Amino acid sequence: MAANADLSRYDAEVEKLAAWRARSRRVRYTIYFLIAALIAWSVEAIVVGDTDWSRITWASMLDTAKRFMAVDFTIFTNLLLPALETVLMATLGTLVGLVLAVPVAWLGAMNISPLGKATYGIGRLLMTLSRSVHEIVWGLIFVAAVGLGALAGVLAMGVRSIGFISKTVAEAIEDVNPGPVEAMRAVGANRFQILLFGILPQVIPVFVGNVIFEWDVNIRRSTIMGLVGAGGLGLALHRQMAAYNYGGIATVIIVILLLIIAGEIISYYARKAVI
Amino acid sequence: MSVATTSQTRALPEWRRFRFPQSLYKYGAVIGALAFIYWSLEMLRIDVERLPGMLGRMGEVLSERYWPPAVSHVLEAGYLQAVIDTFQMSYVATVVGMLIAIPLAWFGAYNMTPSRRFLYPVARVIVMTCRSVHEMIWTIVIVAIVGFGMLPGTLAMTLFCIGFAGKLLSEAVEAIRVGPVEAIRASGANEFQVFVFAVLPQVRVAWTGIAIYTWDVVFRAATVVGFFGAGGMGHFLRESVQRVESNQVAAILLSIVVIVMIAELVSAWIRSRIAGAIA
Repeated sequence: MAANADLSRYDAEVEKLAAWRARSRRVRYTIYFLIAALIAWSVEAIVVGDTDWSRITWASMLDTAKRFMAVDFTIFTNLLLPALETVLMATLGTLVGLVLAVPVAWLGAMNISPLGKATYGIGRLLMTLSRSVHEIVWGLIFVAAVGLGALAGVLAMGVRSIGFISKTVAEAIEDVNPGPVEAMRAVGANRFQILLFGILPQVIPVFVGNVIFEWDVNIRRSTIMGLVGAGGLGLALHRQMAAYNYGGIATVIIVILLLIIAGEIISYYARKAVI
Repeated sequence: MSVATTSQTRALPEWRRFRFPQSLYKYGAVIGALAFIYWSLEMLRIDVERLPGMLGRMGEVLSERYWPPAVSHVLEAGYLQAVIDTFQMSYVATVVGMLIAIPLAWFGAYNMTPSRRFLYPVARVIVMTCRSVHEMIWTIVIVAIVGFGMLPGTLAMTLFCIGFAGKLLSEAVEAIRVGPVEAIRASGANEFQVFVFAVLPQVRVAWTGIAIYTWDVVFRAATVVGFFGAGGMGHFLRESVQRVESNQVAAILLSIVVIVMIAELVSAWIRSRIAGAIA
């Protein structure tokens, strides 16, 4: 009698498990089907609807590729100054981002946000806004606002850098060891003093490490800022494009690659030295 | 006797945070940094005197020429179609890019790669190259080769996706536990079986999150590839910029910001749902 009751309960459990598995399988297959259907729809639009295949021939593609291969080393020396400009733009942009990221991190760290939830929300919104807009769009906005030139690129990269730096720093602030903060509060320090001597020393390594990382990323961004009207290698690239000098484009790209590899090596060792 | 008293009575030097040599380094570094900033501003021909009034002038330019945004322009059928095009490009690029990035991530993860001599460096170099060149430069090169349209945009985004996701995916592989790997290998599995039965189950959740995150980064880039001749919203942006239709530019830029933020929220929501479903 008792064994039967146990068995029937066991059966009910099995039924429930089987139903759950069938349901989760149905959900999974529905998701797979949706993914596949979206693929079919998008590929159809791109490959069939939008591409004129009669225009793309192997011969023409190979011809263009061959023209890219004719790297023009005569302009190499003319690219050294733009390369330097690119690095300086990235450095100044990172500095602007560093300065702007401090107040945003202050707003966006839950434990020190001045007015609690309200300012926290503002800080988070600023971080998302900074990160979710592509650097080309920021570049266009600042070229519109301050005119053509390196300043627009510097500001665009600065604003674009706020998001990453302030987000990681805010997370580090939320994780600080509360001991020193409490000790300072106990001896009567005010909020500003706690911030400066209790919290700042703890987050400095994260801050510096991420700033160096962002500098490295900014060099990469800086190489294309010239395409929307800020200076540097992007401008050189733009000129070669306007002249349809494919070999020249290839040369600029090679210089960009060298610059980025150098930046990556420097930032790797700088980060190692700091952390 | 007298020596002892003087050493007791002589006042200690005043406490300072930085004493002589350190203070020299500190102030030297500050001065050096300022000199570097000044030199950079000179090199870049940035007019420092114009900086103080910049915010005011910026507001003036934006409010006079860019305000109000021509909202009707971004509600036209052509532009809405471009939004759909942008989504399609980013979607195909992410799926294809992930399919290529997955084997590269496997080969490029130092702990799991089938051959450290050959496949590991090859995979790393491919991912590094895709990463180093900015996605807009890829777009320019591919537009030059295959012509205008959505196809070059998709191809450029695919390369970007390989570089972006390839690194994150292989970092996830490098963080797995070796226990299951050794167990599967001990039972006589080959490298592929080890990958499928020991690595994949451990990184599945992380990889799904990375895939969705990659999609929203790719989507953000896809909104502007049109600026360089590939399809999507960026194409409209370029036309309005060239015709100096500032109000239209403002409307398009605002629409890009809004749409990208929506995409980011959707991606964050799906990622939190996945993390919740597993936990």
